[in-house]
Amino acid sequence: MQPRRRVPAARWLAVTATVLVAAGCTPQSVTEQGQSIYNLYNLFMYIAAVVFAVVSGLVIWSVVRYRRRGDELPTQTHGNNRLELTWTVIPTVIVLVLFVFTIRAQDKVLDTSGRSGVNVTVTAFQWSYRFAYEGTGAEVVGGPGTIPELVVPVGERVRVKLLSADVVHTFYVPQTLFKRQAIPGTVNQFDLTFDKVGLYHGQCTQFCGLQHTDMVYRVRVVTPGEYQSWLAAASRRGSAGQSGT
Amino acid sequence: MATTELPLPALPEAHPEQSGGIVDWLTTVDHKKIGLLYIFTAFGIFLAGGILALVVRLELAQPGLQLLSENTYNQVFTMHGTLMIFLFAAQVTTGLGNYLVPLQIGAADVAFPRANAMSYWLYLFGSLIVLSSFFVSGGPAAVAWTAYPPLSTREFFQGSGLDLWIIGLAVVGVAGILGAVNLVTTIFRMRMPGMTMFRLPLFTWGVLVNQLLILFAFPPLTVVFALLFLERNFGAVYFDPTVGGQPILYQHIFWFFGHPEVYIIILPIFGVISEVIPVFSRKPLFGYRAMVFAFFGIAALSFGVWAHHMFATGLVYLPYFSIMSLLIAVPTGIKVFNWIGTMWRGSISLSTAMLMALGFILVFLVGGITGIFLASPPIDFAVNDTYYVVAHFHYIMVGGLLFGMFAGFYFWFPKFTGRLLSERLGQLHFWTFLVGFNLTFFFQFLVGLDGMPRRIADYHIQRWATANLLSTVGAFLTGVSVLVFIWNFLVSIRRGRPAGDDPWEGNSLEWVTSSPPPSHNFHHLPDVHSERPAYDYRHSPAYAATHNPERDPDRG
Repeated sequence: MQPRRRVPAARWLAVTATVLVAAGCTPQSVTEQGQSIYNLYNLFMYIAAVVFAVVSGLVIWSVVRYRRRGDELPTQTHGNNRLELTWTVIPTVIVLVLFVFTIRAQDKVLDTSGRSGVNVTVTAFQWSYRFAYEGTGAEVVGGPGTIPELVVPVGERVRVKLLSADVVHTFYVPQTLFKRQAIPGTVNQFDLTFDKVGLYHGQCTQFCGLQHTDMVYRVRVVTPGEYQSWLAAASRRGSAGQSGT
Repeated sequence: MATTELPLPALPEAHPEQSGGIVDWLTTVDHKKIGLLYIFTAFGIFLAGGILALVVRLELAQPGLQLLSENTYNQVFTMHGTLMIFLFAAQVTTGLGNYLVPLQIGAADVAFPRANAMSYWLYLFGSLIVLSSFFVSGGPAAVAWTAYPPLSTREFFQGSGLDLWIIGLAVVGVAGILGAVNLVTTIFRMRMPGMTMFRLPLFTWGVLVNQLLILFAFPPLTVVFALLFLERNFGAVYFDPTVGGQPILYQHIFWFFGHPEVYIIILPIFGVISEVIPVFSRKPLFGYRAMVFAFFGIAALSFGVWAHHMFATGLVYLPYFSIMSLLIAVPTGIKVFNWIGTMWRGSISLSTAMLMALGFILVFLVGGITGIFLASPPIDFAVNDTYYVVAHFHYIMVGGLLFGMFAGFYFWFPKFTGRLLSERLGQLHFWTFLVGFNLTFFFQFLVGLDGMPRRIADYHIQRWATANLLSTVGAFLTGVSVLVFIWNFLVSIRRGRPAGDDPWEGNSLEWVTSSPPPSHNFHHLPDVHSERPAYDYRHSPAYAATHNPERDPDRG
């Protein structure tokens, strides 16, 4: 294994560049709610990149500029109230601005006031999920060797009621940029409105015992027409309905 | 300038010069020896935790389960977190504090030397109890270092490994509380005449605030462990929802300890950095009082932010915990800017201690900035419990704590031993560590953003493989850098250059006594007129009279 040794300047340049690139590394959200998180993340990223560049620039500059050149003792300054006030006020303003945008995004992400098209009760258990479609007999249950699939229509508000049958788990689909803990004895509720048809990976992120690693599922987002025919078939199969591999 | 002639008030436990044999080390009540015992024990645990980390990294280098079973993997990462957070991170700084605080305040020892020894031995035996869980049937705990119920209740984890884990950590917690009482009392009551609170070195301030946090944060931890133990073994019900308990209660109490714990770990390190940077910039610390107030600002806020670990539960009031968490950036920013202000127009020499301090600032900056992201609930919804969080807190813990700890080791090793660590090996140590560390953790931000959960033994998504491989390579390079440090230690302790009393032209009182200091710490003490007594002393006529005048630095 050959670790690369880079010169420091090039290294920090590379790191700074990667920080900027990292903004592009967040998966594009596939839900309406996730889009607000994505935008918020990018706002944070731009400000963070500037702060990082300024502060690390100052550190590197002072080291380069004020390297010891002789035995002379530098002027013994003890502080500067105006400067110190400046670097107290500016970060305060920055975090307050970030807070305002946070609250705005949060209200959109957690809004469950709209009328939902689909209501699913998701029950997490060691080590899979059960998806029960409210008002229909349709139910999908995963288990050892069976990856459960949550089928939902595109463009409709899906209301998820999240439960746990045993320990704490999470419901997390990376491309929704959203997760919520499934806590036994508690009902958690949130909405997801998918705006892209596709098949998405989901996984438990809260460590939940021996086979936590294997606790995966999929979300299949289909057109409303496909959803209706899938639902009809699944309702007929009832709880015996299993999907996936 | 006059010097205060000792003897200081004779201590009942005043210890005669000791031989340094094994019996002496086992029975010592000398704060310096106890401090070193803390540091050595914590460093041993750090090595054990580091080996567990390398095992984790090996398993994750490529998709597929190659090395471990899922159960073993769960045990390995649980014990990695446990050893590092509970038994290493908070303890190594306590060790430094134990050694240095009495010296920095001009005292002969801590307030309660025997209780101090007891703290150490409780810590050691608590740690051994935790480690003994490797040898019971079922092996050590596999519930993550946070041990959330119901997973940690008897129903879901039967092994006695977890009971030993709870008992051991509770004992270590008691040791921490006892140690905190001792150090806080020492700082309040044992300062030499003239050493007012606003003349305390920043390291001592860091230790003071850190120990005050321990006093408030460790009791809840001990309580929540007691509750968990009762629930596991005696049928009590606090957390089991099927019979009326509340799992979320555990999370609240745990994180009420858990977030201050982060500052318990990092505040003394802020202190170390605030000692190292002025010395190697040959300037006083910029904004001394602001630095002290920032300590208190961080400490106060740290008790109002615990539920940012619980944003994804859906059961906490998000805006409050969000704004409190965001605001911590302000006092932390003050610290970083004041360090830059200290270096500005200074005369900077890049010794290894200084390089480590600079590495600390840059790496901590990344950890701090990503912490701002996590303080925003919507962003936290996306990255909580993914490798993004793992990367973030390792930038604080490995980057922050270790760079700061090594800065402290290079800085004070001469005081501890009378010899200097090799600068040549030190530079090698620094660069391998800097590169290895960033290689390990930077790419974890990227896979985390891409959705890789933490605490999984395996993954099937191929695009995560490159980042994980780089991370593993980086982890081993970090391991090499630690070996370089150990080599440096072994060589320098025997053949290092003699350091003299004050190799760096230090500012605080430990630099006016001999290296290593006598068992009662000082033969004579200079008067204290500022927060830099050793600097004042070096520039005094009394000093010039007893030292070679040609080497005497100019007066400021």
